[in-house]
Amino acid sequence: MEFLNHLGGVFEPVAFLLLLGGTIGGLILGATPGLSPTMAVALLIPFTFQLEATQGLILLGAAYTSTVAGGAVSAILLKIPGAPANIATALDGHEMAKNGQGAKALHISFLSSGIGGVIGVLLLIFLTPVLAQWALAFGPSHLFWMAILGVTVIGSLDSKSFVKGLLSGCLGLWLSMIGYDDIQGAQRFIFADALTGGINIISALIGIFAIPQVIEMFAKGRIASSISSLEVEKQSIWASVRETLGYKRALSIGTVCGSVIGLIPGVGGQIAGLLAYDQARKFSPEREKFGSGYAEGVVAAESANNAMVGPSLVPLLTLSIPGSPTAAVLLGGLLIHGIFPGSDLFDNHPKVAWTFINSMLVGQILMVIFGIWIAGYAAKVAKIPNPIMAAAVLVLALFGSYSIQQSMGDVYIMLGLGLGMFFLEKFGFSAAPLVLGLILGPIAEANFIQGSMIATAGDGTLSYFFGGVLNLFLIALVIASIAYSFWASIVLAKKTAPKPEVTK
Amino acid sequence: MKKLIAAMALSAFAFTPGIGAAQAADYPDRPISVMVSYGAGGATDFQARIVTMMAANEKLLGQPMVIINKPGAGGRVGWNWFASEAETDGYTLSAYNVPHFIAQSIKGGVKYSADSFEPIANWGSDPAVVIVPKDSPYNTIGELLDYAKANPGKVTMSGAGLFVGHHIAALQIQKAIGAKLAYIPTKGGGAAAMKAVIAGDVIAGVNNLSDAFRAREAGNVKILAVADLERNEKFLPNVPTLKEAGYDVDNSSVNFRGIMAKKGTPPEIIEMLAAKVPEMFANGRVTKQMNAGGSPIKIMNRAEVQKMWSDRQAFLQELLKDLK
Amino acid sequence: MNSARLQHLIPGTLVLLLALTVVWLSFTREPAESFLFPRLISVVMLALAFWNFVRAATGLAKVGTGFTASLLVTIAPGVAVMIIFIFFLAKQFGFYVSSTIAFVAIYAIYDPAPHSDPKSWAKRVGVAIAFMVLMYGLFSILLKVQTPRGMFF
Repeated sequence: MEFLNHLGGVFEPVAFLLLLGGTIGGLILGATPGLSPTMAVALLIPFTFQLEATQGLILLGAAYTSTVAGGAVSAILLKIPGAPANIATALDGHEMAKNGQGAKALHISFLSSGIGGVIGVLLLIFLTPVLAQWALAFGPSHLFWMAILGVTVIGSLDSKSFVKGLLSGCLGLWLSMIGYDDIQGAQRFIFADALTGGINIISALIGIFAIPQVIEMFAKGRIASSISSLEVEKQSIWASVRETLGYKRALSIGTVCGSVIGLIPGVGGQIAGLLAYDQARKFSPEREKFGSGYAEGVVAAESANNAMVGPSLVPLLTLSIPGSPTAAVLLGGLLIHGIFPGSDLFDNHPKVAWTFINSMLVGQILMVIFGIWIAGYAAKVAKIPNPIMAAAVLVLALFGSYSIQQSMGDVYIMLGLGLGMFFLEKFGFSAAPLVLGLILGPIAEANFIQGSMIATAGDGTLSYFFGGVLNLFLIALVIASIAYSFWASIVLAKKTAPKPEVTK
Repeated sequence: MKKLIAAMALSAFAFTPGIGAAQAADYPDRPISVMVSYGAGGATDFQARIVTMMAANEKLLGQPMVIINKPGAGGRVGWNWFASEAETDGYTLSAYNVPHFIAQSIKGGVKYSADSFEPIANWGSDPAVVIVPKDSPYNTIGELLDYAKANPGKVTMSGAGLFVGHHIAALQIQKAIGAKLAYIPTKGGGAAAMKAVIAGDVIAGVNNLSDAFRAREAGNVKILAVADLERNEKFLPNVPTLKEAGYDVDNSSVNFRGIMAKKGTPPEIIEMLAAKVPEMFANGRVTKQMNAGGSPIKIMNRAEVQKMWSDRQAFLQELLKDLK
Repeated sequence: MNSARLQHLIPGTLVLLLALTVVWLSFTREPAESFLFPRLISVVMLALAFWNFVRAATGLAKVGTGFTASLLVTIAPGVAVMIIFIFFLAKQFGFYVSSTIAFVAIYAIYDPAPHSDPKSWAKRVGVAIAFMVLMYGLFSILLKVQTPRGMFF
């Protein structure tokens, strides 16, 4: 219960003001397309030079917490996921916003983020020493199987067409290999100069989600009726709380997926939201409602991506290994003040360590409060007339994709992928599996190559990738996931057969 | 909080958009971007953020330096961009890592060489060290390398990538013992290579002195040797150099970090930067925070860096010639 | 053969051609270790693309709405502005100037208010400038992103 002794530190005036500032600033930065949590936290590092160690970490902790949740705002309202973590949120959240339930979607997203987030931080507080050992258990072969498990989700993520879902995923995997090969340094598939740097995941996200969205707005044409956008339903907070708590299954799936994946160094929690969304759908009796604006999908995705925040810091705080890019930036924030994570941190600077962890706990709660407060206003975005919205999203896409690395190449890739995606979407290909492929490709490849290099020096490839309980467990999950997808595609095909989909 | 507001206000005022081409006389009149070709949070990024923090000081540059990360393929992505696309108006600079970019340019397949860039100043040097997990049976570098000699290709050794300082060190060790090591490059840079050692995925690893020192303090690894000419008295007085242990490995793998401009940048601007930037690196607050983070400082002026670059160029050409 | 089937053949063929190209590139380029993974992926991709092509050719592909002539006519001007804006103007004119122009253009194309009324133009320009001031505050001042300045700003 040591963390309780230091809880007061969070409520000292300066600390609390920083916490507030970090939370609100984080929500805004997170909602800006192109600013991933990693970038937002890196941007704040210079500010912490001026502050004491504890104060600096409070700012960073609060910002990390709320940028992850803030990404949901643009995902829901504009269908531009702020970061890979928010892709799954966009699937149902944006549909809800289109149905006039933007405020409700935002409420539910912040509430489930908060619940997942608090549980994640509590795991960090109570189970850190145990979890640290788990985190280390994942070597290259296990990470490879994790990535493959993610790939198998691809087929079932697209409810419309099994083969097109898988094909979209393959396209994504291939796109991820463009540019320099990360390990060998060879050039692959570089057709144009803009591609030398490879495809940046954030600019791809912006293009693939935002550009088709903009063109769909064009498609509504120049008619007066498109201007009178739908009413935004008022949503009482208590109704949202009740509804969120009602989705117990989605909340538990999301929290478990998020915590486990967050813990594993190298996967970085980017896929936590998508995996949780997929699992929640598989276990839901109303699975056909997913994707059409169903709140349970938002709950699963958002509880997962905030549950990841706490556990993702376990390897950093105990072993000094940053498990994700954001954790690496936080490590910098600690080092600047001469604090080394690991036993030194908890033994010699307990106040710093616990205030930091507490600030994330309190930050989660503040994030929910402010998130709900702005939700009512933010949902009005849906009332902005179509042409203004289209122009604004396009300009945001330009600035967002440029500001990631200040490179025009990323901007061209953004638009190129976006136009291609619009065309393919018209024929039933979908964006989410493509992005999943883009994220998982490098993880699968790097771990496969690294694993086989280690295996050749050691016991041989077969026993390295197929030996051990953890490998076998993960392989079993992969097989189960594939089997389920086949089964579901056959059953669903039979179900939908009597009423063929409308084609023009 | 006051300071935070003051800093924000200051940086807002500091930004005055200039029109037209940069005039060398009033350079700099807007923020300067510094490209780092490794990800946010890596050692290079972290140090670059510290050493540039005083840039906005009126006595130094009078304008802030902003870090842009362009990670990928061991630095190739960022330096390619810098050599081929960056403007030469002095508002886009880059951090360099030697021997990384020189070794990569010798290996080929990139758009840069040492001649594409103009060094400004060097801020730090981070020697490579050989580490093993804390429960490893090897307690000295001799024990580890004797085993490697007896079992060629069996000792797995993680490092940050191919043709970076860690890889050069591994190559030199290989040459010194006359047997192959299984060098395992990682995708996630030094941090991922460190994780591979701590988790026992590999038998040994080459890593940065600063990161290894931290990991040892946390009780996770043993440091067996330093690939430098002298011991590091400040952080690791008890760890021998590879030379002392009887292996012919010098300081060629030491990771030098500094700032450079693109060739073609006006000479007046380069001169001005070459005068001011070392002063900025030597600033008291910078050195204090570098020391706090366990990052070894080594400030070198433009002339010294030019000499260091050409020395490395010659040496690496020799070393890499033997490799395919 | 109906038009839906014909339409599904277009992406089906394109993706199949792409998959063939990727397979060819993956198996002909060196070094082999670097292309090991792409080879794996490309073969799977080719198999799937072929499956998809067969479904499209036999009229089994039913998902997706496809394109209609009226849809193409409606989106064409907007997409044209988008392409010219991002690929050409953004760098030449600088982000802020080109974005303002593109904003007004898109707003005007899809705004039902009459073009002859100067008031609707004033509103369009006003909204565009207000939005760009917001962008300037967020990106240039707060985040210090140095956008290309082009010939104007």
